[in-house]
Amino acid sequence: MGTHFEIELANLKNIIKKIGKLAEGQVSEAVKILLQEPEAVEGKVIKKTEDKIDKLDVKIDGICQSIFALKQPVASDLRFIMSAMQISNEIERIGDLSISIVKKSKSIKEKHDLIEKFDIADIARLVESITAKTNECFIAQDGNATGEILVLNRDIKNNCEDAIHEIINEMKVNSKAVVSGTNLVIVLKHLERISEHCTNIAEYVYFTVNAKIIKHDKLDDILPGK
Amino acid sequence: MKDIKIKVKDLSLYYGEKKALNEITMDIPANKVTALIGPSGCGKSTFLRCINRMNDLIPKVSITGEMLVEDIDIYDKNVDVVNIRKKIGMVFQKSNPFPKSIYENIAYGPRINGINDKTQLDEIVEKSLRQAAIWDELKDRLDDSALGLSGGQQQRLCIGRTLAVSPDIILMDEPASALDPISTSKIEELIHELKEQYTIIIVTHNMQQAARTSDHTAFFYMGNLIEMGKTNSIFTKPLQKQTEDYITGRFG
Repeated sequence: MGTHFEIELANLKNIIKKIGKLAEGQVSEAVKILLQEPEAVEGKVIKKTEDKIDKLDVKIDGICQSIFALKQPVASDLRFIMSAMQISNEIERIGDLSISIVKKSKSIKEKHDLIEKFDIADIARLVESITAKTNECFIAQDGNATGEILVLNRDIKNNCEDAIHEIINEMKVNSKAVVSGTNLVIVLKHLERISEHCTNIAEYVYFTVNAKIIKHDKLDDILPGK
Repeated sequence: MKDIKIKVKDLSLYYGEKKALNEITMDIPANKVTALIGPSGCGKSTFLRCINRMNDLIPKVSITGEMLVEDIDIYDKNVDVVNIRKKIGMVFQKSNPFPKSIYENIAYGPRINGINDKTQLDEIVEKSLRQAAIWDELKDRLDDSALGLSGGQQQRLCIGRTLAVSPDIILMDEPASALDPISTSKIEELIHELKEQYTIIIVTHNMQQAARTSDHTAFFYMGNLIEMGKTNSIFTKPLQKQTEDYITGRFG
């Protein structure tokens, strides 16, 4: 019993896995362009991937709508479908932010010096890492991984705030740094938002697995052992 | 407690040697709809029939434990079973109007209870049919045979007939399973309205119907009460894996 429906759910999960991997790739490409790594792909490839993400996002909404209308899911199935719709939306936003980072990165002059000066590479690596961990968390439907992702998000947030603070201080004393500094602040804000979206996804996984909504809970209440 | 209408304590039922209900303990709240769900043969209909002692009619049935309706054990030797069934009405899967006029179907119960005054009976008929949400459809044809009504109308007439003797509790054994979606939705709407005045217990195989109509849901499996809780909780985060498997259709 339920086999046909289970196949449908597995199919939905696979599509989310696919869109998640595409977004993870976009984040990596954005980081490469930001850090001026030589193996960065062309802008065309990034745009093409973005189109794929948008199409999958719409497809996921359609599948979820059909399941709601035709299968009337309950309990864990209901939570999974509810989360699937939200997660798809979060992933699509991660894709959009990656594109924005690419665009902004191109307009930062003396990028290399600024990135080194404000430890931007470390932050970018952490954002890459949280994106990958979030995908793993969804694929394994691992509610226990949510805590780790939330901690990582907190670190990213703190690091971004510190870096932005330093950049602003630099801009105060060096007017030549204002244009690039402003763009870099925007890039940091985008990285921070990507991390937030990852956190939201991890919270939806937690909801699917544990039937508990934690999106407005304090970090200390969510972490294991607390 | 005032808001508990029926208190069941360790109720077991045997068909001869076979135990069909296994030490059921539950509280059924007053003026709420309680849905009993579970696979065929799980004991939900048997349990429903215990509430107005319908199983008394089946040979070799024995019952242990307590079924307290407003703190009175209905299986006590001194309890008059006719009085119990007056207080606890029942609606069945297949509508079963008497082969009489619409009016006589409703007036039958009150007449048996000694009401013969025409004005009083007229009032009861109108009130009962209004409560059963069928008065407007039938008021101009009260003398027609009840057997000429559609299935959905017959079922609402039977609900009206149940209401005519002023019960406290209404038992419904799959009341809409033989009806089309429009009639089903009328019955479900009616259940929603009736709960203000009556305590309703409904057996249904239709999971969505249980979710739509009830305040509390009890899941039965193999004669055991596996889980009972608020319907919203049962259908969003059931506590027991067996309940989850059943409501999501992954049973067995």
